[in-house]
Amino acid sequence: MSQILIKDRIPREELLDSGHLACPGCGAPIAMRLVLKALGEKTMVALPACCWSIIAGPWPQSSLRVPLFHSAFETGAAVASGIKAALEMRGDLETTVIAWAGDGGTFDIGLQALSGAAERNEDIIYFCYDNEAYMNTGVQRSSATPWGAWTTTTPAEHPEMRPKKDMLAIMAAHRIPYAASASVAYPDDLVEKVKKAKGIKGTRFIHILSPCPPGWKIADEESIALARLAVRNRVFPLMEVENGERWRFSVDHPGEPVEPYIRRQGRFRHLGDAEIAEIQRAVDERWKSLERRVQHGT
Amino acid sequence: MPDDRPIAGPARGVSPAAASTTPGGRPVAGTVQGAPRAAVQATPVERPIADTVHGVPPVAVSTTTTLVNRTGSWKYIRPVYQDKVAPCNQGCPVGIDIEGYMNLLREGRTQEAIELLLRENPLPAVTGRVCYHPCEDGCNRRGFDDAVAIHAVERVLGDLALASPLPPPAPRTWPETVAVVGSGPAGLACAYHLARLGYGVTVYESELEPGGVLRYGIPEYRLPKQVLARELERIRALGVSFRCGVQVGGELPWSALAEHHAVFLATGVHRSRPLGVPGEELPGVRAGLDLLSEVNHGLRPELGRCVVVVGGGNTAMDCARTAVRLGAEVTVLYRRSRAEMPANEEEVFEALREGVHFEFLAAPVEVMGEERRPEEEALEAIRASFDEEDARRSALRLAGLRCTRMALGEPDASGRRRPVPIPGSEFLVPADTVLCAVGEEADADALPEGLPRDGGAVAVDALGSTGLPTFFAGGDLVDQPHTVAYAIGSGKRAALGIDRWLRIRAGELGDGTDLAELRYGPAGNVSMTRWRGDDPVQRVAPLNEVVTPERINTDHFRHAERHADRQHPLEQALGGFDEVNQGLAPEEALAESRRCFNCGVCNACELCLIFCHDIAIRRRGDGRFEIDYEYCKGCGVCSAECPRGAMAMTREGL
Ligand SMILES: Cc1cc2nc3c(=O)[nH]c(=O)nc-3n(C[C@H](O)[C@H](O)[C@H](O)COP(=O)(O)OP(=O)(O)OC[C@H]3O[C@@H](n4cnc5c(N)ncnc54)[C@H](O)[C@@H]3O)c2cc1C
Ligand SMILES: Cc1ncc(C[n+]2csc(CCOP(=O)(O)OP(=O)(O)O)c2C)c(N)n1
Ligand code: SF4
Ligand code: SF4
Ligand code: SF4
Ligand SMILES: [Mg+2]
Repeated sequence: MSQILIKDRIPREELLDSGHLACPGCGAPIAMRLVLKALGEKTMVALPACCWSIIAGPWPQSSLRVPLFHSAFETGAAVASGIKAALEMRGDLETTVIAWAGDGGTFDIGLQALSGAAERNEDIIYFCYDNEAYMNTGVQRSSATPWGAWTTTTPAEHPEMRPKKDMLAIMAAHRIPYAASASVAYPDDLVEKVKKAKGIKGTRFIHILSPCPPGWKIADEESIALARLAVRNRVFPLMEVENGERWRFSVDHPGEPVEPYIRRQGRFRHLGDAEIAEIQRAVDERWKSLERRVQHGT
Repeated sequence: MPDDRPIAGPARGVSPAAASTTPGGRPVAGTVQGAPRAAVQATPVERPIADTVHGVPPVAVSTTTTLVNRTGSWKYIRPVYQDKVAPCNQGCPVGIDIEGYMNLLREGRTQEAIELLLRENPLPAVTGRVCYHPCEDGCNRRGFDDAVAIHAVERVLGDLALASPLPPPAPRTWPETVAVVGSGPAGLACAYHLARLGYGVTVYESELEPGGVLRYGIPEYRLPKQVLARELERIRALGVSFRCGVQVGGELPWSALAEHHAVFLATGVHRSRPLGVPGEELPGVRAGLDLLSEVNHGLRPELGRCVVVVGGGNTAMDCARTAVRLGAEVTVLYRRSRAEMPANEEEVFEALREGVHFEFLAAPVEVMGEERRPEEEALEAIRASFDEEDARRSALRLAGLRCTRMALGEPDASGRRRPVPIPGSEFLVPADTVLCAVGEEADADALPEGLPRDGGAVAVDALGSTGLPTFFAGGDLVDQPHTVAYAIGSGKRAALGIDRWLRIRAGELGDGTDLAELRYGPAGNVSMTRWRGDDPVQRVAPLNEVVTPERINTDHFRHAERHADRQHPLEQALGGFDEVNQGLAPEEALAESRRCFNCGVCNACELCLIFCHDIAIRRRGDGRFEIDYEYCKGCGVCSAECPRGAMAMTREGL
């Protein structure tokens, strides 16, 4: 069929409840919903501070139908490692333990704990849902914020001037068994990667691009479309890395121009043609280096 | 955006016993929000919790789900499911639910697809072959890769319908009977629909066999007569009776139709316009329509070696290709350029492929006769003594056609540039036969008196009524494009108009029916299914809005090549009157149906459900979906992601 039909590849089980407190159109709950569908009921979540701390609901509510442990901002990987260790001591080798952190909690403050866990090859899956800033505290920049973007700490007069940190490469450099990037706009690809990760032992890392309508200054209904554009134009390529060595692309990246993606987002409104051309240049260059990695390993 | 609220921390007043459990049932300590179901299963108090044993303070544990938050109150716009009209359907002069049957076919429900098609179109095997498919012009897939080959799918379904058992006679619901005059596509469509609506129908036809242009105009190599014959069987099976060989207004006076309660006039246009140049009375100059009729009667007239066809329409193309099959070298003379030709593009292409030569920007000035050369006369006399056929050949006495070159001047009333002769540019085209195909007109004398006219055409309202009591009209007689599909559409509208008029007259129906409700799209044709009110396809809040290309989310489709009709090899095609276009194989038609976007008709792809952030969309038992407005925040992602415009966002509270 010419329509790409995905419904048969998305498990029907629902482990996330309605009534959660994400903003309309937010990518974060759809990311969690899909991940839990892929992991199933025997899952525990370690959750450092981030928007998801709110989305989960205030005490005494929880929007998850699996146990969720709220923890400090910098500790996602450490807490997940601890839960896993405790479960193992109790003889539970079955339950999947995941850390679920934002980009701030991953790229910045949580990086030390994550690097430590990866270096020890802790048996956890670390998910970073990346909305490219500290959204929960009101859109401050993180090292995941893309070049040129407005945030409250990188105002339009002084926009972000450093490129987004290459988190996937950092994790691959830890030689963990599995690292991948995924997108809420590609649910089948995401679910497949999570299922694959579940079947692997050791530290697994999955980086999910997750648009934030208020933070990106986009209309609510555009979030999926923009996440998809980011893949199609190679701003956010969908990849897998096994043992830090074997890189591969998991979907088609037709390489459409970045301009429509940039222009549709208010956070880039101050950029002119020259800046957009610069973004295009950087995307093209990074794509070449990714292609080299795919062809020749690291 | 949520603000930075304190995250659930150590809580007072919460019993540690409420700590949640692992899926295995074991309690887990810490700052935990537990799964509510697991929390219910927990067996509190009995088992001491490790943390209390070690003196760790009690922690907050969740006890409810977020389902208590009615986040639906956040929204100011709400999504709704709303089926719409596809542009193909709107563009089809018959008004066929194309998006609907494509969907059924895609699901493998072929029989239902055929039935849906037959609800609107009585002659799908015919239109699948000869309709110029304006539906495809508007197909939303056109801008993505290539239009869906709707005509080819229709043809396969039409052929499958011909292979199915005949329908039982339609139950006779009403006492009234209707006369249909003329058995072309317009008359057949009207008769078919009226029979299905429960009326007694008699079709009067002056020719010996029914079908009109389908029978005596369109050549066999485009429409095998066997196909038409089987379509007619289905119409007969419904209970329609045919009286052929009867010219109404001739041997049968119009007054004889008074026994019927309504009359549908569909006598078409058959009088060939003359060439209007000296010499046109010479033998060897013939009306193109007459030649086509003769050949369709099974005759194979001798035309000589050189045939010139004058005209640029479909009749001209049919004449040219027929003459090629009769062994002639054919030249088509057209006074404007190729771009202005009224003939269908595919027809011109086929004619070129078959070796027809075109003289554009050329018009006849005089038909030239020829003195027979004495030496030939002797030879012909000898031939004639052997063979009657050869005797006929001796009647060919044309030398050719004196023509003039034309130039395009100012646009005329039709908007096309008027051709004007270029002085001194005359030239001779040799011809043994000249076929005249410069247009046809209605034989006004043959129509009942007092019919309101609109120029040459019979004037009718939207449902075919002439305003003269009991008389309705359609097809080429009325002011509409002269094509089979328009004829069928007008027959359908008139059937609906006659039904409505008779029921109003019988006092069984008010005249308040909103006709707009019956339309497919604001400009499209009417839906017989909607008139009957028995749509087999479950539609959600259908709206009479046409799905524009912008409403198609093409991100969810892969490119897929359109299947081209299989064509008979040229040598074989030219060898006789076998059908040239072989259409698609059933499996190719199925593949083609899968290319269809199903514009405006939910096909349960579930993308709305998958992308709903609020898990507010649920499957209903019947293959449809419902939105839980208690939780839907109105983000609009579902509607934006729906590939086919089957959802919409509406103002909350409206
Ligand atoms: C050669 C040719 C090729 C064509 N090819 C195509 C094509 O490929 N695709 C397409 O879409 N369109 C085509 N057309 C146009 C199309 O055929 C006509 O638009 C269509 O047939 C009109 O249908 P109708 O029912 O109005 O009339 P017709 O098909 O003309 O039928 C009228 C019938 O009424 C009968 N009749 C007339 N007067 C009386 C009377 N007084 N009493 C009883 N019966 C009477 C006639 O004998 C005839 O059978 C073609 C037309 C011609 C001439
Ligand atoms: C040590 C510490 N510093 C600051 C905070 C306040 N804080 C809570 S969430 C958050 C931002 C999280 O950003 P990110 O990880 O990107 O997740 P997001 O909110 O964007 O989803 C911050 C700064 C905190 N909870 N703890
Ligand atoms: S894609 Fe299908 S439903 Fe849409 S216009 Fe084309 S044929 Fe019709
Ligand atoms: S995606 Fe869900 S929350 Fe958003 S508008 Fe549709 S039903 Fe409502
Ligand atoms: S997204 Fe799919 S299931 Fe939902 S309304 Fe559109 S066609 Fe139907
Ligand atoms: Mg963030």
